Amino acid sequence: MLELKHIKKIYNPGTISETLLFEDFNLNVPDGEFVSIVGSNGSGKTSMLNIICGSIPIQGGEVLIGGKDIAKMKDFQRYRTIGRVYQDPSAGTCPNLTMLENMSLADNKGKPFGLGRGVNKAREDYYKEQLSILGLGLENKMNVKLGALSGGQRQAATLIMATLTPIQFLILDEHTAALDPKTADIIMELTDKVVKEKKLTAMMVTHNLRYATDYGSRLIMMDKGHIVFDKGGEEKAKTKVDDILDIFTSISIECGN
Amino acid sequence: MFDLIISTLTQGFIYALLSYGIYITYKILDFPDLTVDGSFPLGAAIAAVLLVKEVNPFVALLAAIAVGAVAGLVTGVIHVKFGVRDLLAGIITMTALFSINLQIAGSNLAVERAIDTIFTSGPIIAVMGNASLMMRKFVMSLIVALIFKFILDWYLSTKSGMLLRAVGDNSTLVTTLAKDKGVVKIVGLVIANALVALSGAMVCMEQRAFSSTMGTGQMVFGLAAVIIGTTLFRKVSFVKGTTAVLVGSVFYKACIQIAISLGLPANLMKLATAVLFLIILILGNRQKGGAEHA
Amino acid sequence: MKKFMAMTMAMVMTAMALTGCGGGGSTNEDAASGDVPVIGINQYGQHASLDNCREGFLLGLEEAGLEEGVDYIIDYQNAGFDDNVTTQIAQNFSANNVALMCAIATPSATACYAAAEDKDIPVIFTAITDPEKAKLTSGNITGTSDKLPIEGQLQLIREMQPDAKTIGILYTTSEPNSVSAVEEYQAKAADYGFTIEALGVMTQAEVNQATDTLISKGVDCFTNLTDNNVVGVLPSILEKTNDAGIPVYGSEIEQVKLGCVASAGIEYVALGKQTGMMAAKILRGEAAAADMPYETITAFEIYENPDAMSALNLNTAVENAIDVTAE
Repeated sequence: MLELKHIKKIYNPGTISETLLFEDFNLNVPDGEFVSIVGSNGSGKTSMLNIICGSIPIQGGEVLIGGKDIAKMKDFQRYRTIGRVYQDPSAGTCPNLTMLENMSLADNKGKPFGLGRGVNKAREDYYKEQLSILGLGLENKMNVKLGALSGGQRQAATLIMATLTPIQFLILDEHTAALDPKTADIIMELTDKVVKEKKLTAMMVTHNLRYATDYGSRLIMMDKGHIVFDKGGEEKAKTKVDDILDIFTSISIECGN
Repeated sequence: MFDLIISTLTQGFIYALLSYGIYITYKILDFPDLTVDGSFPLGAAIAAVLLVKEVNPFVALLAAIAVGAVAGLVTGVIHVKFGVRDLLAGIITMTALFSINLQIAGSNLAVERAIDTIFTSGPIIAVMGNASLMMRKFVMSLIVALIFKFILDWYLSTKSGMLLRAVGDNSTLVTTLAKDKGVVKIVGLVIANALVALSGAMVCMEQRAFSSTMGTGQMVFGLAAVIIGTTLFRKVSFVKGTTAVLVGSVFYKACIQIAISLGLPANLMKLATAVLFLIILILGNRQKGGAEHA
Repeated sequence: MKKFMAMTMAMVMTAMALTGCGGGGSTNEDAASGDVPVIGINQYGQHASLDNCREGFLLGLEEAGLEEGVDYIIDYQNAGFDDNVTTQIAQNFSANNVALMCAIATPSATACYAAAEDKDIPVIFTAITDPEKAKLTSGNITGTSDKLPIEGQLQLIREMQPDAKTIGILYTTSEPNSVSAVEEYQAKAADYGFTIEALGVMTQAEVNQATDTLISKGVDCFTNLTDNNVVGVLPSILEKTNDAGIPVYGSEIEQVKLGCVASAGIEYVALGKQTGMMAAKILRGEAAAADMPYETITAFEIYENPDAMSALNLNTAVENAIDVTAE
């Protein structure tokens, strides 16, 4: 269970550009849930993910995982149980390292990085097997540097790398936004597959309303630091793209757009 | 001519150690580390003082490595723990080292010929005691340069070394691997400056002198060696980065030697160096298929 | 391993090709093949005093009866104050088997001494204040030392400023030459009724501020050493001292030309000449550098700059002083 309790977040506190994003933000995500999060720019979606991961500081509140407050933990400490895929396909892999090296790095997450051999040849078959799930032929590119691959290929590899070791949470930060529609569909399909296979708790921020309705077990819409729509289970299954679009439009009209 | 080649190669090998260090900071970590101009003479100062006290010269080399490592640690902590910008962190340590080096050595310090160095004692005498000093310097510096090349190659292939490469490549990934990228950077700076100080100690033994100003411009030398080496071998994938840097260091020393042999006026030497540097960079960009970063 | 061997071979060949094409066009090649002995001059940098040394050295060789082109050839190299370059110059000389290396200033001497060790090529140095401290006294090496005539300078200051009490000195703490000179000043100042106010700097950038500090301490005059950092920014020191009405005494003629009031100084051309005569002996085989002790020049001249003196209302005429004007 992930809990955000009474989160207060102010950007640029104490300066002229001070902006309050969250005053008293609360959210519970039970284990095994796949939450899709939508909302216009500036609604606080990505900020929320960053708060969970510890990438940005908060001014008040608690971040609980399994009942334990992790708000004081450094970002890298939190990633022991969190995997993350960014919007930028180059953010999740090392461009100058080969696929095998990248996979070996990811495979060693949670273990000490000592003076043992960096590349784990014995595990190569396992890596290939994992990559073959993607169906992109990446298993045949073990000695290719990641920088030489396309954005979609890299994002697919990132997905495998982020979930290679046992984690509790998978954070997906608009991870299909920088890809062409066809590749985005493939990656989204793969994401769903991986989340289901590994029984992960996932939180996905997306601008693609179709993905938000088609995938996941819960749908949240955010606006100006508040949750304005939150449906799970049966209700979520019944939600159509048009329903979401209607709410979106009404919010926009309120804003005078 | 043969002698000139030997002594030029010797210089290249000794300075290759410095260049390995800069390869780690500049090429792998993407950290412009100015500590080098201080840690290079630091290694020389320690070596000079220990040699004068007739400490075993190999122990003196190890001591230089140790103090160099501490210098790197200081820069790393200033940068990582106190959030000082990379360039400034290096400048702070470099400036402090200027005083510290003088404190260690007293003032500029010369080492008498009667005192043994790694070129005049121990294994090298046992194996090739009859050879000329020049050949012994050549063989010894080649061996040291190779030993550290292989150690570094080995290290970069370990888990820890791979993490180091990852930090320079994509530090975000290191964070998501639940590793503190700051600590990894510090490790890199420690190793780099240990190598730089070792290089300084070798120069001190070769020249039998420490001078407080001997660090000036060493960062630039190492940078040139790294860029020349890696550019020359950009297309050749089987050549390791360390090997490329070793060649780069020799190449650069050879270029200076040519300039001297041609009787190029000293005042023009730096300009010639800059031009050479620029040509190699441009050629490197051409190979890559045009300037990427316009 | 095979790859590595290939790399090493490639590297050696590169170095050969590079140095090969370099040597071809130089005078070194002729020298190595001809019978005329080559004298390699390794000068640390471009600097009036060092240039005077070299000039004197050549005069000394001539005065000793040697003729350039017949008895010797000069291969002059200047390192531009770069330790790495001076090392490579020395190695170049050694590789070309020069008959004699002439090193001007300490870093060049250290480099030549190291490069010449193997082949026992004689090294002759000049413009080194303390050869003992630089450990340049054993082996096939000799030369001349430019120790400052400190007592002469103290006497000169006393004559020109009979009421002066405190002498200010700026020096670089890392220069052994400067440190020992300051010590000697402190030891001998009392004999002439002075106290010394010495202020050390680490880099040239600090000299300006240190000048202000000394002025504010109320020194009656400054006296210079042959400290490169300080002498390098002499014009800006003089600007400040002239405003404050404090005379600055130089340590050699070049500083007087720049505007110091006077100096009891070594004449560097003379120093170089003495060195050149020693070199001639070595070249002729009359003596070996290893057996010749280094020589310290003791004679000095008094130089004065009348313009600078009148600007500061100093009108004591010093006997036998040579008038020097700005160039």
